[in-house]
Amino acid sequence: MSNYKAVIGLEMHCELKSNSKVFSPAKNGYSEIPNFNISEIDMAFPGILPSVNKESVRSAIMASLVLNCKVPEYMYFDRKNYYYPDLPKGYQITQMHDPVGTNGKILIDMDGYTKEVLIHDIHLEEDSASLDHYIDASLIDYNRAGVPLLELVTEPCFNNAEEAVAFLEYMRLVYKYLGISDADTKMGQIRCDVNVSIMDYDAKELGTKVEIKNVNSFQNVKDAINYEIKRQSELKDEGRYSEVEQETRRFDEETLTTVRMRNKVDAIDYKYFVEPNIPKYKITNEWIEEIKKSIPMLPRERKQKYINEYGLSEYDTNIIIKNKEYADYFEECLNLGMDAKTSANYLIVNIIAYLNKFNMELKDFFLKPKYLKEIIDELIKGNISSKQAKEIFNKALDENKEPKEFISKENSQISDVNELNNIIDTILNNNQSQIELYKNGRSNIFDYFVGQVMKETRGKANPTIVKEILNDKLKN
Amino acid sequence: MMDKSIKELHELLINNKVSSDDLVKEALAKSHTLQEKCNAFVTILDDAKGVSVNDNLLSGIPYGIKDNYSTKGILTTGSSNTLKDYVPFFTATAVKNLEKCGAVPVNKTALDEFGMGGTGTTCHTGNVLNPWNQKRMCGGSSSGSACAVSAGVYPYALGSDTGDSIRKPAAYCGIVGYKPTYGMISRYGLFPFASSLDHCGVLTRRVEDAAIVVDAMKGKDKKDLTSFDSSNIHLLDSLDGNVSGKKLFYIKEIVDFANYPNIDDTLKKHLDNYFKTLDNLKSLGVTIDSVSIDKTLLQAIPSVYVCLSCAEATSNMSNLTGIIFGPRGKGDNVMEIIKDHRTKGFSTLIKRRFVIGSYILQKENQEKYFVNAQRVRRLIVDKMKELFKEYDGLILPVGTGPAPYIDGSVDHVNNSDTSILEEHLQIGNFGGFPSITIPNGFVDNLPVGINITGNCYDDANILNIAYALEGTMNYKGQIAKEGTNE
Amino acid sequence: MRKFTKEMVDSYADKLLIGLTEEENKLVLDEFDIIDKNMELITKIPNISEVPPMTHTLDDFTYELREDEYEESINIDDALANSDSTEGRQIKVPNVVEVSKK
Repeated sequence: MSNYKAVIGLEMHCELKSNSKVFSPAKNGYSEIPNFNISEIDMAFPGILPSVNKESVRSAIMASLVLNCKVPEYMYFDRKNYYYPDLPKGYQITQMHDPVGTNGKILIDMDGYTKEVLIHDIHLEEDSASLDHYIDASLIDYNRAGVPLLELVTEPCFNNAEEAVAFLEYMRLVYKYLGISDADTKMGQIRCDVNVSIMDYDAKELGTKVEIKNVNSFQNVKDAINYEIKRQSELKDEGRYSEVEQETRRFDEETLTTVRMRNKVDAIDYKYFVEPNIPKYKITNEWIEEIKKSIPMLPRERKQKYINEYGLSEYDTNIIIKNKEYADYFEECLNLGMDAKTSANYLIVNIIAYLNKFNMELKDFFLKPKYLKEIIDELIKGNISSKQAKEIFNKALDENKEPKEFISKENSQISDVNELNNIIDTILNNNQSQIELYKNGRSNIFDYFVGQVMKETRGKANPTIVKEILNDKLKN
Repeated sequence: MMDKSIKELHELLINNKVSSDDLVKEALAKSHTLQEKCNAFVTILDDAKGVSVNDNLLSGIPYGIKDNYSTKGILTTGSSNTLKDYVPFFTATAVKNLEKCGAVPVNKTALDEFGMGGTGTTCHTGNVLNPWNQKRMCGGSSSGSACAVSAGVYPYALGSDTGDSIRKPAAYCGIVGYKPTYGMISRYGLFPFASSLDHCGVLTRRVEDAAIVVDAMKGKDKKDLTSFDSSNIHLLDSLDGNVSGKKLFYIKEIVDFANYPNIDDTLKKHLDNYFKTLDNLKSLGVTIDSVSIDKTLLQAIPSVYVCLSCAEATSNMSNLTGIIFGPRGKGDNVMEIIKDHRTKGFSTLIKRRFVIGSYILQKENQEKYFVNAQRVRRLIVDKMKELFKEYDGLILPVGTGPAPYIDGSVDHVNNSDTSILEEHLQIGNFGGFPSITIPNGFVDNLPVGINITGNCYDDANILNIAYALEGTMNYKGQIAKEGTNE
Repeated sequence: MRKFTKEMVDSYADKLLIGLTEEENKLVLDEFDIIDKNMELITKIPNISEVPPMTHTLDDFTYELREDEYEESINIDDALANSDSTEGRQIKVPNVVEVSKK
């Protein structure tokens, strides 16, 4: 534990989902084959011009609204000028002057408290090409060049690595809920820059800010922050805080340390200016309203609702909201009038377990909520036992058939009290001597009667009701 | 044949008096002759063939393409060593539109490197000489196009105009140069110089031909977001020559003799000639007023232009690294390789402009120079738009006289009192205004031009005024005549 | 004292990855003071800071954003044809990681 207060800010870059790239009509899709989805625009051949993808703008506005940011009246872009072989134009089209969102905030749940995260801005930009490094050369792959990228910049508002990572995890989930990104860290779709400074708890001014660029997994974000806090704290402890410089570092995955890239003096002047080839685009209120309407309920709101309104446990809720498909499935069950706890239980115990076992996604799962309802309805009516329900569940999945096909009259549970009364009466009439023995204290004879009913009904009698009726009749 | 107008050539073609092949052969032969004399071309397309002629006025007729329009399968250099072997795989939209009409390109014309010059002396293939007098320049940057149209190689050639790159060389070569409203012609495939100032356009020998060609080149292009739908604008159909009641203005601070106390003989003749031509318009029923504009604002024009064009150019040309296209530089690492390519590839003049652009865009200078230039640009444009509410257009002489000598031509930022007169055409680029230069006779036996600039989208009106004025003079369709050698 | 030095000119050029010869540097330097003086004209316009910068040529322009449909990729041979150094389907440059570690 450090003796100092850490102050952390994040820049989160996330690739957006779309058919085409943000400024070119080339396909936005991953390919193992290099230069498989490219246009002359992505490679910056002389004479090309950008054309803005409506879907990417829509996604960016949606994210901006969710983060409670101010959306500008006009959408336009800036050029960020620098030279690097992964940047074919020699500039990146991004947003600096008037980003799609500014000055926002969002709440996240931490263990035992709620954290308000302040958003400096969120902006839409294009991704760079990727470089494949070999010993003697680097090869350039332009598949990624021009892929829409959403960059979210927080205020320096986190105080430890856990908060920072919780925020990243939550935003990743939010992007997936919004359907604007697959947000797959394994595919490098999310990349982060982290800035860290430390200060005395009673200090008024922030310490020297160190930026760590291109951290590619949430675990690395955590390790980088913790290393940096440790590094800076140790220097401060030793009275060498002046050696903490305002600089850019990178995270080294092998040593789990950060390494200097360049200091402030070498900071690049990106010479931002407004991209003249993209006229200002008026974002109408109608469009904003339309986008607002299409925003689904977000995981944190759902969580509160599941716990407070449906009485689910926090544990179960967390499992369900972890995946929007699960949450949507659950809510569809409720819309169909199914019981919340039973649905949640079935989802967690049976469905998610099944998906995990077969490494499947819920969208490919055969038993849609309306089919699950067929099983659960019968279960609740008492027409089938839990065991039978489970069997029907598996059968339906095995044969990809509607569950009701397996809930026939013959094998459904007998819960009809009159019918059972008749059966039990016959059995009791035929077993007068056993009734005597029972009444004389041979209480285990009760099970004998239950067994006789089951035998008579080939196991289909509802055991609870059978027991109730027998108890009733034998009392007299 | 090639001295004829587009309509005349079309008549001959559809009546089988001449074939498209004949025209192409003639244009190619003339290209070679002119190349010997004036060095106008980067590439002559000797394999060009005639096409079958249809109803389209442009079908089967040869033309030239400035070498900063991307042409699929045809060397396109921007007249720069950085692209000396570059063969594009896509064609500029404007050229495609002409292709659809059946127009036949026969050469790629030389320009000041990437359009960044006004002399025709910074092409990687050498100086372009004025066909009227080979000691003189053609002006630039559409030097080769102006040269070839003036010499009668074909009736028209494509140009591009960032400051005056169509309209100035047109004047120096005694022809018509027209750049329509910004966005009327798609810029997709045009090598950029300064995106917010770049315009496509055409050089011809007749206003009517300019109308025909731009009618064909224009149109909204989904690849250029700044392009607009102009299907309601019919330039050729708008030329009726009826201009009675039209109102034009000139700017006193630019053309009044009082501004030039030490006026030289050439400038005096140039201005006299200009004022005489205004009388022609008046006789057609056009009112011409003298308007005064704050001189501080006018004096800032050339600096605003230098700021904006150099700054945008540094960014636009950052793709010239020799990595994806262009000759690969030498060096131990990729940055050295890029630097070597750029150091060797760019001419001295363009490097100088880059240094200015770099300086202006520096974080610490950007607000003072670049952003303030954008602000002055607005003031100038707003002033013009205010005047265009009352007037159909602005009419001014082009430059300070005929084409300067090539020897001793230095393309530098002008600091003399004639600088506004020299550079005022840049106003047309600031506002994206339609602007046309037509020949206005001779000064010192060399052609000079007069320019009319109007409000955005009012191209038809501006062209019609130019058409009417052209009709009052004898320079329509003129071909460069030698014998004016000094 | 001159406002601009040889070193400054070289640094402006270097930021654009352009090298200048001695002569080129001198040429630029000789002109820079006059260019700078001309630039000053801009800042002399009264109340200039209150004017919104004109960043686009037609600023009353309206247009539609591009619909999200993708087109066929360009031909790989076309993409590589103008490069002097390629390998397989890619453009080749000296190892970049080495550069950034320097």
